[in-house]
Amino acid sequence: MLAEIGAVTLGLAFVVSLYAILASVMGEVRHRTAWVLSGRNAALLTLPLLAISTGALLVALVTEQYQISYVWSVSDPTTPLFYRITALWGSQRGSLLFWCVLMALFAFGAIVLNWKSDRRLMPIAIAAMMAVLAFFVGITFFMENPFTRWWLDPSTMREVDTLLIPPGVVAPDQAALAATAQGLNPLLRHFGMIIHPPMLYLGFVGFVVPFAFAVAALASGDLTTNWIKATRRWTLVAWLFLSLGLILGGRWAYDVLGWGGYWGWDPVENAAFLPWLVGTAFLHSVMIQEKRGMLKVWNMALVIMTFSAVMFGTFATRSGVIQSVHSFARSEIGWPMLLFWAGMTLVAGALLVWRWQRGELRDEHPFVGLLSRESLFVMNNVIFMALTVAIFWGSFGAPITASLFFNQEITLGVEYFMLVTPPLFALMYLLMGVAPLSAWSAMSLRRMGASLMWPLLLTAATLFVIVLTSELNTPVSVLAYGLVFMAGYVALYETARGVWVRRRAHRESVWLALRRLYGRNQRRYGGYIVHLGIVVIGIGVIGSTIFQLETRRTLQINETQRIDRQYELRLDGLQQGISADNRELIVAAMTVFRDGREVARIQPRIDNFPNMPMTIAGAHSTLEKDFYVLLTGYDTERGIASFKVYINPLVNLVWWGGLVLILGTVLAAWPKEIVPETVRRTRKVNSLAGEMA
Amino acid sequence: MTNIAWEKPAALDKPKGKPRSGSWKFALGGALMLAAVVYLVVSGTMVGARFFITVDEVVHNPAYLGQTVRITGAVIGSTIQYDPVTGDLEFTIAHIDSEPTDLATELHRVANNPVSTRLHIVMTNQTKPDLLVHEAQAILTGQLREDGNFHANYVLLKCPSRFQENTPGNMIRTTND
Repeated sequence: MLAEIGAVTLGLAFVVSLYAILASVMGEVRHRTAWVLSGRNAALLTLPLLAISTGALLVALVTEQYQISYVWSVSDPTTPLFYRITALWGSQRGSLLFWCVLMALFAFGAIVLNWKSDRRLMPIAIAAMMAVLAFFVGITFFMENPFTRWWLDPSTMREVDTLLIPPGVVAPDQAALAATAQGLNPLLRHFGMIIHPPMLYLGFVGFVVPFAFAVAALASGDLTTNWIKATRRWTLVAWLFLSLGLILGGRWAYDVLGWGGYWGWDPVENAAFLPWLVGTAFLHSVMIQEKRGMLKVWNMALVIMTFSAVMFGTFATRSGVIQSVHSFARSEIGWPMLLFWAGMTLVAGALLVWRWQRGELRDEHPFVGLLSRESLFVMNNVIFMALTVAIFWGSFGAPITASLFFNQEITLGVEYFMLVTPPLFALMYLLMGVAPLSAWSAMSLRRMGASLMWPLLLTAATLFVIVLTSELNTPVSVLAYGLVFMAGYVALYETARGVWVRRRAHRESVWLALRRLYGRNQRRYGGYIVHLGIVVIGIGVIGSTIFQLETRRTLQINETQRIDRQYELRLDGLQQGISADNRELIVAAMTVFRDGREVARIQPRIDNFPNMPMTIAGAHSTLEKDFYVLLTGYDTERGIASFKVYINPLVNLVWWGGLVLILGTVLAAWPKEIVPETVRRTRKVNSLAGEMA
Repeated sequence: MTNIAWEKPAALDKPKGKPRSGSWKFALGGALMLAAVVYLVVSGTMVGARFFITVDEVVHNPAYLGQTVRITGAVIGSTIQYDPVTGDLEFTIAHIDSEPTDLATELHRVANNPVSTRLHIVMTNQTKPDLLVHEAQAILTGQLREDGNFHANYVLLKCPSRFQENTPGNMIRTTND
């Protein structure tokens, strides 16, 4: 029954989303309000339909309905309840359904919250969102349906996996199905992996809202900043989730993949990073259009490119054509996805070119002054786009070009990315340090120099302390830290300057001035906190990349060995056992000493799942460094074990910086208090009365 | 009372008189940045490019001897040897076609076919990858040296279950075997 409920509601969601496209477009073209309303209602209906469908699959997972082949393939009787729930996105079919319900949720929110304020844009925006949703629901229903079931053909004794029940078949024995169920992929049994996909999906699908409103602006001819105002917060929310997804993905790789790193420049990782880069460029350049009426074409192009990158990333991950540890198995949905991606990008691009040629996207001001804020923001955009192009080329462009034009298969290794991206990231940090100090329209070199004085002095002082007191001080790292620290000090300096001005003007306390500063311009000052987050991440990346120590040790029980000048490691014991979910566990109990003092007890282990082993690191984490140990081999009879040890300086700043970044984005996107007109009037009258008294 | 937000006024330092056209500066700046990015990408491509070839090609074409290339093959499970003390890892892979129609079947076929072209892989200072099992697809970056071994410094593995649609029947049969 669950399979029927899930499949029927999924099919209905497909039909309803198609109807929503048709009704919205016809309503807009023929100016029929009733059709537009009908299209809106149909679009709203997709959320409950997909929620029921997803709910049916969840119930099937929790209640162990192994006849549903998806349930059979991602869980087994030993799977704990928590992982049964997360198995919803544990494989292609379930995660596509989950993707659809999240997209419907975003569409629902955008329709409800923007309906009144952006009435003119809504019909086409709804049609665009529903077109994307219909595509994903369509491929889920027709090609990757998670509600197919196992049936047994008694005449051939073969089982078939189908949505519709073939004639003459019987349901297989439940006990046999339970006994052969596959269980969740061990790699997915990690906290980071449990939250990472939903966050990434939210980030990906969230960009459908700004994309849809941009297309609506281009199609309807409302090319003012209305579409930007309508989608400002949606863009920030999508960007927030995408950032969170990327950070959690890095954390998962660090904890689970057992190579001591968190970013391997893998094509699928890069595919998720590309929309983040273009989206970040868009978040910056859109401010120029709002403030100065410039870069109208560029902003449209950026928002189209961002969603195009999202779709390409989805294709790269889900088609299975890209060789990666992250990709799903090869699937038939690759070609439809590629065609939809190309078609969607072409249609949006054609609309943009059409409006551009008609002269409807002219800038209201010319660029003056290389140091004006708009010029520096454009340079920032150039850097983000250069990073995007370079990473796209390294991951996809070069292999595709070589294959198409030179009949050669090539790939670009990590060396490519380590050569190309650091200078571009350095320029990004440089601009992060300079652009906030500039003014709109024009800025002289002298004034810029004066504004930079305090941040530069603070940076120099910090570098001086680092060189004197720390081991992390090669020339390259000092230069890199200099750029990163300057960007951080500029963000702090700008905030401090704002507080100082408020205190002088209003005689406010520091705390009150800070609060009101954020309250009055939350995007700008939230943005500075995001900059600080990026700075903290930068410090962590530099430390853990340049100064990582990697070594190998073999220890007998009770033996202690020195790892570096500070650390020693002792093997206390080796234990072997079977866990409740049938894993064979080999656990090494170890003690970590720092400067002769015991600082931690860690337990690196190997989990032998029935199909594959998993190496789980034991780590002693401090803000300063991670002491990260992998159990690589063992002999329990002789009481001997081998380990790979990594010392990763400052790596935890990568995660802490991520938290700061998230805090800043939440502050920037936080909805302002909406005060009703009547209350505002009352407040004004009371305030006047108070002043007169 | 007036509320003040610290926002730099537009045109604070606007030059007096008629503004001069500075478009050439933007064009020059843009051209320089473009040139720098192109240079970075081209030089990076030269350094990082790895030919992605088959086991047959690397074994039979002497041009690839000593060159850093990327190869793919099916892991022969019985050949895997790992020394956790030194981190030395050795195994043999068998040739698979560059674009097989059914990768799971191809991996199974070549890994169990004694006459398929094989190549011995040598890696040092490695943690044994969790997915290094019989019939896994290995994608390796490294060089074929004079000793006839492929010395790899990077390995990416995909276990066969990722390509194979299991069925309850298959599973029952496998369990019984």
